[in-house]
Amino acid sequence: MLISWEWLSDYVKIDRPMDEVVNRWAMSGLNHESTQWVEGLPVIDLEVTSNRADCLGHIGIAREAAVLYSQPLAIPTLEGLRTSKQSVHEVLSVQNRFPEACPRYTARVIRGVKIAPSPEWFAKRLRSIGIRPINNVVDATNYVMMECGQPLHAFDLAHVASNQIIVRPASDKENFQAIDHRSYTLDPQMVVIADSKRALALGGVMGGLESEVSESTVDLLIEAASFVPMAIRRTARKLKLHSPSSHRFERHIDPNGLDWASLRCCQWILEFAGGEMLEGLIDTQPVARSGSKILLRRPSVSRVLGIEVPWAQCGQILTRLGCTVEQDEQSLEVVAPSFRQDLTREVDLIEEIARVHGYEAIPEDAMVPMVASARRPKDTMMLTVRSIACAAGFNETLNPSLIGKSPIDRISPWTTQDPLVTSVPLLEGASSLRRSLIPSLIAARLHNQSQSNRDVRLFETANVYLSQGAQLPKEQHNLACVAQSEPRLVRGVFEEIIQRVWGQDGPVLDERLIDFDFLDKGTCVAWFIGGTMLAWVGSLSRSLVQANKIDGPVAIGELDLDLLQGSVRLVPKLKALSPYPAILRDLNFIVDESTHWGSLRSTIAKSAGELCREILFQEIYRDTKRDGDGKKRILLTLTIQSDTETLKGEQADAVVADVIAACQSHHGAKLLA
Amino acid sequence: MALDQFLTALGSMLEEARACLATVDNAESLEQLRVKYTGAKSGALKTVQKMLGSIDVKDKPAAGMRFNEVRDGIEEALGQAALRLGQAAHRPGGGSGPQSLGPVFDPTLPGLRPRIGTIHPITQTLEHLKEIMGRLGFNVTEGPEIEDQWHNFVALNIPEDHPARDPLDNFYLATAKAVSAESVTGDPPAPRLLRSQTSTVQIRVMETEPLPLRIISLGRVYRPDAPDATHFPMFHQMEGLWVDRNVTMTQLKSVLRLFATSYLGGDVSIRFRPSFFPFTEPSVEVDYWWNGQWIEFGGAGMVDPNVFQSVGIDPEIWSGFAFGLGVERLCMRRFGITDIRDLYRSDVRFLRQFAT
Repeated sequence: MLISWEWLSDYVKIDRPMDEVVNRWAMSGLNHESTQWVEGLPVIDLEVTSNRADCLGHIGIAREAAVLYSQPLAIPTLEGLRTSKQSVHEVLSVQNRFPEACPRYTARVIRGVKIAPSPEWFAKRLRSIGIRPINNVVDATNYVMMECGQPLHAFDLAHVASNQIIVRPASDKENFQAIDHRSYTLDPQMVVIADSKRALALGGVMGGLESEVSESTVDLLIEAASFVPMAIRRTARKLKLHSPSSHRFERHIDPNGLDWASLRCCQWILEFAGGEMLEGLIDTQPVARSGSKILLRRPSVSRVLGIEVPWAQCGQILTRLGCTVEQDEQSLEVVAPSFRQDLTREVDLIEEIARVHGYEAIPEDAMVPMVASARRPKDTMMLTVRSIACAAGFNETLNPSLIGKSPIDRISPWTTQDPLVTSVPLLEGASSLRRSLIPSLIAARLHNQSQSNRDVRLFETANVYLSQGAQLPKEQHNLACVAQSEPRLVRGVFEEIIQRVWGQDGPVLDERLIDFDFLDKGTCVAWFIGGTMLAWVGSLSRSLVQANKIDGPVAIGELDLDLLQGSVRLVPKLKALSPYPAILRDLNFIVDESTHWGSLRSTIAKSAGELCREILFQEIYRDTKRDGDGKKRILLTLTIQSDTETLKGEQADAVVADVIAACQSHHGAKLLA
Repeated sequence: MALDQFLTALGSMLEEARACLATVDNAESLEQLRVKYTGAKSGALKTVQKMLGSIDVKDKPAAGMRFNEVRDGIEEALGQAALRLGQAAHRPGGGSGPQSLGPVFDPTLPGLRPRIGTIHPITQTLEHLKEIMGRLGFNVTEGPEIEDQWHNFVALNIPEDHPARDPLDNFYLATAKAVSAESVTGDPPAPRLLRSQTSTVQIRVMETEPLPLRIISLGRVYRPDAPDATHFPMFHQMEGLWVDRNVTMTQLKSVLRLFATSYLGGDVSIRFRPSFFPFTEPSVEVDYWWNGQWIEFGGAGMVDPNVFQSVGIDPEIWSGFAFGLGVERLCMRRFGITDIRDLYRSDVRFLRQFAT
């Protein structure tokens, strides 16, 4: 809201420096944006919060200054305006067919005006706050709007067919030519001010081209109306047509201020353009609304603010703000002025007292009672997850929650449902909520590739959004990793995380080989708990790697942190060490290429018995000269130990013999001598 | 060959090698010893290794293990002798001539540094905020990012005609019925949306948790904003809420000063400027005085009685304050980041700078 400092002095006399006043405004609710000098006069830009429609005119701002500095506020009186004997009702009728959008419409008529430029002082005030002067009639409507906040409109009465105004819904696809010389297509939720033939104005937003005041205008219709904020906002948004008028009607302007504004406008027109005002006013809702009583209880002030404000001062502040106040020792009965539609409750009054009294009176060193708080299991777990990912050389990244529709973006290992979609994209082309973090990480890898950043390892922890029909979607907290390596790197990170988060007694994991279409065949394993997937790891498919021109292998994996957290072990518990020595046995098996470690390991685990404490994979190597094609060697180490005795060599031999036999029979494994 | 015989031979070989290497006093002799024990063709170790083949199968693991120990012991003694003679560490198979003992160790080479990742600056900031607020007695809570209109608007005292609900100011989900962006009057089922503030969590917590409570909620929020250096349509907020029997604005100011002092590490002053939020009354903007200027901190206020009523809390008995702040702004100021978009570009040259 642009304010002319010179204009304000019409309403309030303040003998304080402007900068000080501007600062007081800021500290009482009118934020200072900037001050500019226009034609030698200061113009102040103030930010007006959406609840303070009363401050969308110079009088409202002047009232704030008057309250803060205890000065009288001088609002121009409008008595003694001469009218003709002819009544407005004889030349004009108004019919309101859309009170849902326009609850009140008033009209006055002035005949015999002479259109001319406004006086220079008047035009200069408008120019200073960025309004282009047009002529003495249009300028008067704009001036009064900038004075009291009530938008007004002047029609050329000669262009109102049958001297009849009809307030009605626009018809579907009705065409309207506005004074900005553009044409708009309307819909029935919009309100138009029409005559018997066509729309003359888009109610609350903008006047029409045909009925605008021109040099040939002689008779005027002065409109002052109330419109419903939501109706106006919708129209302005839909047509992308925002005006000072719509800006004000979108907020709750003073419903009782219509008549003052209308008369004030007529006063200027009569002064600058002459003519004669017809007697009376057409008013579709002549009963003024009066505010209801609000009770302010004395203890409530300190209950909210934590400080005492002198009781007499509370009453004075509200009175100066324009409230009607009846005060006794323990309570105030307050009726808020109609221009303060935001004041309806006790707490609203307390805020007024607080901001005028000044928030600097509130101390910042009060006692704050101590209470205990505890870290959530989730936060404890996340510390572990992040530190392991970091220890493995992964950099954490964060990516937008919405992605596009590319083949990479369609990667969806957790659901076959379509992604949730927003009606407006977050960023260009990104309107699908992520079902997996992998698409973002692959995009991140590609971005780094374009920046010549090599050997990138990235991880992200964030929600993915899985549609669940009518319920709120499932938001699953995931960890995802991408690395320029084979998948074992990512798998190792996941194994370490699971082991550290769960400790030794976590749920049994069911490892399965699965095929996701976005992964290279035969590279993917997934872990399940009771049929629910906990995590998967694999290599991005060659076709996606090639199609996206990714350099080098792409190991990816994703883990459901919510499921992981289900078995979190917050504090490690010591397991007693065996006092007896362990026997280590290296075994070197020759097996078929197709034999997976996972199945060999489970055979060993089943056959080795309780004494086998660990089955440690060492390495795979190949010696085709000795073993022939299609064979590989798997070297592993068994740790054999008892909690109750020192094992003899023969006992260990027995374990090893069982293992060898089982591997032989299940996998055709041959022990290398 | 019998196992114990083999083991004895190994033992005496190690003894002998250690004795010789402990006293060797010139490079030439050292090289001769190296060839004698570890020579690739006919070194002593090679010879013994061949004997392994004739060991009984059941004894093989034990024999192999001992062989490895002896081999490692000899290698170590060779290395120590080389160091003592000022030579480079012995490298088996180095192929060096008698005068040079192979490659020379360069102690000025860069160390073998572990490759360690980094935590994103936003995560670091979030953890920092949790830690400080934890010390002030606030527990961490969270709620869904996809919200219904009740939690994002209605319960927060944001009425149907409030501009904050405008389709153009929110990310509404397109539903199967393709609810058009224009239907402001939103007949049920009202479309869900990506939450525009973390205040939604206040409502969820007050609906379910017993009073009194002190909580913070942190997380992603979404508002349509054209991205530039200071705007991004997705960002993070921290929201704080304290509900008890006698919570006042004085405590709000004091808690925020304690917070700012902890965060900035020096005594900080707090200033309130009146503002307007639907879910608090009175509402204020909070600034803190730091390095000679007032810096915007966030919004705050006393929980609006309508909000209490919407979750069934009697505002005549309970009072509370809430505050919210943008995490990106704190993070960027702390780390000297000047473009918010850099936070979400995943460039490792950026990410690696936040190693702490």
